[in-house]
Amino acid sequence: MTEKESYSIQLQEVDWNDTSCLITYGPLPDKLILSIQTVGLIQKPVLQRKSDGLLRIVCGSRRLAVCQQLGLEPLSCEVLSTSASLDTCLRMAIYDNIAQRDLNPVEKSLVLTKMALHLDQAQLVQEFMPLLDLEPSDTLCGRYKKLPALEENILDAIARGTLHERIGFVLSPLEQGDRLAFFNFFQELPFSVSVQEELVETVVGIGRRDNLTPTQILDSEEVNDLRRAHKRPARQRAQKIRKQLLARRAPRLTARKEKFAREVGELGLPVGVRLVPPPYFEGPRWSLECTFERGDELATRLRQLAELADQPEFKKVMESE
Amino acid sequence: MMYLPKRLLIEKEVADSPLVKKILETLPDTPVDWVDQLKEDGDGEKGNVLEIVKFRGRFIKPCPGTRFYNCCGYQILNLAIQCSLGCTYCILQAYFTSCNVRLFANLDEAIQQLTEHLNNSRRQIHRIGTGEFADSLLLDPLIHLSENLVPFFAAQPKAILELKTKTAQVDLLEKMDHRGHTIVAWSLNPPQVIAAEESGAAPLEARLEAAQRCQEWGYRVAFHFDPLLAYPGWQQGYQEVVDRLFAAVDPGGIAWISLGTLRFMPSLKTVIQQRYPNTSILDEEFIPGLDGKLRYFRDLRVEMYAYLNELLLGIHKDLCVYLCMESDDVWREAFGFTPAERGGLSAMLDRRALSSFGRASI
Repeated sequence: MTEKESYSIQLQEVDWNDTSCLITYGPLPDKLILSIQTVGLIQKPVLQRKSDGLLRIVCGSRRLAVCQQLGLEPLSCEVLSTSASLDTCLRMAIYDNIAQRDLNPVEKSLVLTKMALHLDQAQLVQEFMPLLDLEPSDTLCGRYKKLPALEENILDAIARGTLHERIGFVLSPLEQGDRLAFFNFFQELPFSVSVQEELVETVVGIGRRDNLTPTQILDSEEVNDLRRAHKRPARQRAQKIRKQLLARRAPRLTARKEKFAREVGELGLPVGVRLVPPPYFEGPRWSLECTFERGDELATRLRQLAELADQPEFKKVMESE
Repeated sequence: MMYLPKRLLIEKEVADSPLVKKILETLPDTPVDWVDQLKEDGDGEKGNVLEIVKFRGRFIKPCPGTRFYNCCGYQILNLAIQCSLGCTYCILQAYFTSCNVRLFANLDEAIQQLTEHLNNSRRQIHRIGTGEFADSLLLDPLIHLSENLVPFFAAQPKAILELKTKTAQVDLLEKMDHRGHTIVAWSLNPPQVIAAEESGAAPLEARLEAAQRCQEWGYRVAFHFDPLLAYPGWQQGYQEVVDRLFAAVDPGGIAWISLGTLRFMPSLKTVIQQRYPNTSILDEEFIPGLDGKLRYFRDLRVEMYAYLNELLLGIHKDLCVYLCMESDDVWREAFGFTPAERGGLSAMLDRRALSSFGRASI
C-alpha cells in the first residue's frame, strides 16, 4: 500500500494546472455541491506533495473544486509521500473513480491516454479496457486515445451523452473546422448514431472526390436550403438531407433506383404487389411481394402478373440500361 | 525496381535448403538473423525484411472463388506471401498483418505435393499459378525460383504454370526449355494509374517490353486488366494501354486476357485510407457485392468490361477475354454470353491452356 498521512491544507497549495492524475471530465454534479454545502467534506481527497512544494491532485478533484467554489478551507486531506510514482498515483485515481461510478467516454479516453504513458499497449489493452467495460482491442483503444484531442464542445457533448463517442472516433481524423461543422449539423438535426457515421463517411467521400471540404458540403446551398426549411419537422429535414447527400455520393445507384421506380410505376403492377430488386441491383435474385385477403384475389393477381411478366416493359425493368 | 531486403530472417530448420543457399549467395552482405520458428503473423521489425521459413500447410489450393460469381478454376501454388511493390489497392494488406515478404524454403515438399496432386487428379489440365499471394517474379533475381518451376512444369503432361507479375524481371526465363507449359502474365494499367497506385512496380513500357521478350523466347503471355480502375478519362487511359500492348506483342501469342474491376473486403478500406491518404481509388461509389466485397456499381462494371472487350476484340477477334469473379448477368450484358453457354469459364480457359502445347481440345 502507498503511504499517506492526513494533513490540513490550504487550497492555494494545490497545483490546479497539474492534471497528470486527472481523469474526471464534465460539470460538477449538483448533488456533490449540495452534499458538501450541507455536511462538509465526508471523504478526504488524496494529493501528493511535489518537489516544488505544491500539491498534485490524485483523488477527489471534483470535491476539491467544489470546496474551492464554496471557499471551504483549510481542508483535511490525505497526502501521499513523494516516493509514490506517478504511475501509482494515476492507478489510485482510476481505481478510486471506477469503484464509485461509471466513467463517461471522455473519462475512459483520459484513462487510456494517461496510462499509455506508463504501460505498453498490450498491458494497457488487457488490464484497463475490461476495467472500463470496453472490449480489449488495439483498434478500439487507438480510437479512444484520439478523443482527448477533440474540441471542448465536442468533448462536453460526448461526456453529457448528447453525442456518441463513435462519432468522436470518426470525427477525430478530420480538420478542426470540419469537425465543428459536423458537430453543429448533428446537434441541429435528429440523426441516429449509425446515420451520423454514415453521413460523415458520405460527406468525406464526396469531398475527396469533388475536392471540397466537408464544411463546404454541409454549408452548400442545397443542404442549407433544407437545413433552414424550418416549416418542416426536423426529422423530415434530416431524412431529406441524408437522401440528398447519399444520392450525391452514389449517383449511379441513385439513377438506377430512380429509373427502376419510374419504370415500375409505368408497369401498372396489380394493387398489393411489389417488385423488389436485388440489393444494390447486384445478382439475379428479384422478388415479388403480394398481399391478399382471399384465394380468388390471389388467383386474379397471379393471372395479372403472369400476363405482365411476358410484356417487354417488364423485362425492361430488370435490365440495367 | 529489384527487391532488396535490408535483413534476412531465416528459420534454422531450412538452413540447408537450396533456396536459402541461393539467397545467401545472391545477397552475401545482407545481415541474417537465424531463428527457431517465426510466428504466423511475422516477428521482429516490420517492413523490408525477407522472412524465410518452412511452410507447414498445403502448398496447392484452389483459388478462393465464391459461388456467387464465375471463378476461372485456377489453382494456387503458394510459395511465398506478401509483396513489396506497395500497390495502394493490394488485397494482401488485409490478408496478412506483417508487411514482410515471406518465402517458403521447403520447395522440395512443395514439388512433392504438387506431383502427388497432379498424379491423383482426373482433370485433363491444371492451370496453376504462383501469383495469388505474392508476385510470381518478385524474388526471382534473388532465388531463381523459375529455374525450378519452369522445367518441372515442362515435364508435366497435364499442367500449365502461370507466372503473374508486375515486374519486368524475366531474364532468367530466356534459356529455359519451357515446352509451352509456362505462361508469363502481366497485370496492366494506364501509366498514370501505375505512377499513382503501383509506384513500386515496373512501368507499363517495361512490362510490355518484358512480355515482348518472353514471346520472342517462345512463351505464351497473358494479361490481366485487374484491377480496372474508374477515374476521369479511364476510357482514354485504357485505350492507350491496349494500343501500346498490341504494338508490343503478337495477339496470336496471348493465352488469355482477364478483366476485373477493383473489389476488396471492407476491412481493406481503412487500411488503404491510413496507408495511402492521397489515393483516389476509393472515390468511386462502391456497393457490397454478393460475396461481401465492395465493388463498383454493376452498371459501371458492365460499361468498363464492354468497353475493354470491344477494344481488345476489335484488334484480334480470337482473343480469349474473360471476367474475373463476375456474375452471369454481368457477363451477358458486357459480353453477350455467359460462361455456361461455352461450357463454363474453367473449360474455356482449359481449352486455351491445352492449345498452348498442341493437345486435343477437351
